[in-house]
Amino acid sequence: MQRIALEALGVSKRYGDREVLDRVDLVARSGVLHGLLGPNGAGKTTLMRVLLGLVRRSAGAIRLLGRDLDACDGRVPNGVAGFVETPAFYPYLSGRQNLALLVDLDEEQGSNPRHRVTEAIDQVGLGAEADTQVRNYSAGMRQCLGIAAALLRSPRLLFLDEPTSSLDPAAARHVRTLARRLADGGTAVVWSSHDMSEVEELCSTLTVVNHGRIAFEGSVERLRERAPAMLHLLHTSNDAAALSLASCRRSLKVWNAGDDGLEISADVDALDAYVIALASAGVAVRSLERRTRSLESLFLELTVIRPSEWERTPVQANEHAESVAS
Amino acid sequence: MGAYARAGKRTCGVSRIVTIHGVRAVVRVERSKLAGQIKAQVVLAACVLGPFAFAAVIRLQSSLPEDTLFGRSVRQSGFAVPLVVLGFAALWALPVLTSVVGGDLFSAEDRYGTWTTLLTRSRSRGEFFVGKTLTALGFSLLAIIVLASSSIAAGTLVVGADPIVDLSGVLLAPAEALRRVVLAWASVLPPAFGFTGLAVLVSVVSRSSVAGIGLPVAIAMAMQLCALVDGPEPLRRSLITSAFGAWHGLWTEPHFYAPLVHGTIVSALYLVVCVVLACCVMQLRDIGR
Repeated sequence: MQRIALEALGVSKRYGDREVLDRVDLVARSGVLHGLLGPNGAGKTTLMRVLLGLVRRSAGAIRLLGRDLDACDGRVPNGVAGFVETPAFYPYLSGRQNLALLVDLDEEQGSNPRHRVTEAIDQVGLGAEADTQVRNYSAGMRQCLGIAAALLRSPRLLFLDEPTSSLDPAAARHVRTLARRLADGGTAVVWSSHDMSEVEELCSTLTVVNHGRIAFEGSVERLRERAPAMLHLLHTSNDAAALSLASCRRSLKVWNAGDDGLEISADVDALDAYVIALASAGVAVRSLERRTRSLESLFLELTVIRPSEWERTPVQANEHAESVAS
Repeated sequence: MGAYARAGKRTCGVSRIVTIHGVRAVVRVERSKLAGQIKAQVVLAACVLGPFAFAAVIRLQSSLPEDTLFGRSVRQSGFAVPLVVLGFAALWALPVLTSVVGGDLFSAEDRYGTWTTLLTRSRSRGEFFVGKTLTALGFSLLAIIVLASSSIAAGTLVVGADPIVDLSGVLLAPAEALRRVVLAWASVLPPAFGFTGLAVLVSVVSRSSVAGIGLPVAIAMAMQLCALVDGPEPLRRSLITSAFGAWHGLWTEPHFYAPLVHGTIVSALYLVVCVVLACCVMQLRDIGR
């Protein structure tokens, strides 16, 4: 079992009456890429900010690399690095100058700072643009510079907040490879994303956050076991009747997707039976198309439905999903 | 687990430790950033060139700034030039000079969104606060030294290093005149630092560079207006701008130091109160919300 690099227990954050994080637990181990997954506004970024000490938490305890965050006197411990949202730099300085400033703010780590800056720039493939002012960088280049800034700290615990969001496919692949290489080298990487397929491809464990609460925590394998049937999009001649018919069937979930029609979460057999039943009830099926793979379906199910609804029956949950969609 | 759970109750996250090593690193970084900014270069260039332009204009024009202290002497002695410049600068230039960096140093991080980048390194908020505040004070000091040196150089080179008559009618030899000019400029350092503290506070609280630079200048003007009208004495004595004129007592025989001492105490109070308040706000704020 790998060493625990990050341990957050019962972390809450409240802004006035609004609970942004509600007793969130998060554990990441050395050498493991841990996905932090959730839709926009789920609380991922706030959680990252709290973990990095940028935002004061309302409750909970955090250990980074075995050190209590409160015992660090407001400093991010050595070996912990990362960025939250789009990394920001001084636009009037070059990428290299920005990194040189940041390396000066880190504790001494032995080797020549200039050499470390060059090495980090090369690792993220920014060599040709290193001496260009950051104001002329694209969003993707800033993202790469942010990763380079994190690498300067020789991270053993690395937080990356949607690091591929502004990157072209080739650069995104490069960053994913880099993250995997760091994890292989023993770094615990917390990879925040709202892209299930990216996390599925990259991470071995994950935490799904929704409405500031944990919707799932565990390995991707365990999530796959829980994954429901695929998600389909259905257009009928009478959506209301189709919904009514679905409410009697516990083997599938159907909810209104607005102008898109109806979304169905069901396995193939249940779907076949439902389509036949629709025809028997005089509801014409105008189109039926596969929308997501099974893990994405589960992600949507976990994040569309409020946490308080998870334990309800599928029909009840289905009703809630309808109200959310409408 | 018990100790861990207890630690969990302490969620404030306020940094208490400020090391000299950490503050030095922050000052170094701020210095590098200032060197890369055109704003700081323009301000310092204006401090160098402004007095020479003033001395040249005075020499070329027929009239003198007679309504200003030592204005009548600007053609007789070069030592009058830095004093006239000081009189003008105290009105609005010194508040601008002292807030141009202090009022922007903190809010610029909000404007660029770089607090997150900085605070995920190995330095605490306390170290950033102290380092940035020292940089702001250091820039104010540098700007005043440059302006004073340039004024003295402009006066002595353009007009000449001749003796000057002080406010009591005593003729001062050039060496004594130079000593008193230097002391006069040194006497504006406390109120200048007070304004820097005010600029730092506005910058931290408002997170706006416009407010950080503009508000201290507006406050300085309001204080000067307040001093002009016949307001209550305690109010007038609490105005930091009155300290800018305390050097007049150094140019009489005998010297009177009371305004200087009072102005220094008021300036120190402004500085301490503003810096402490700014530090509290900085320590307790959430970054990036």
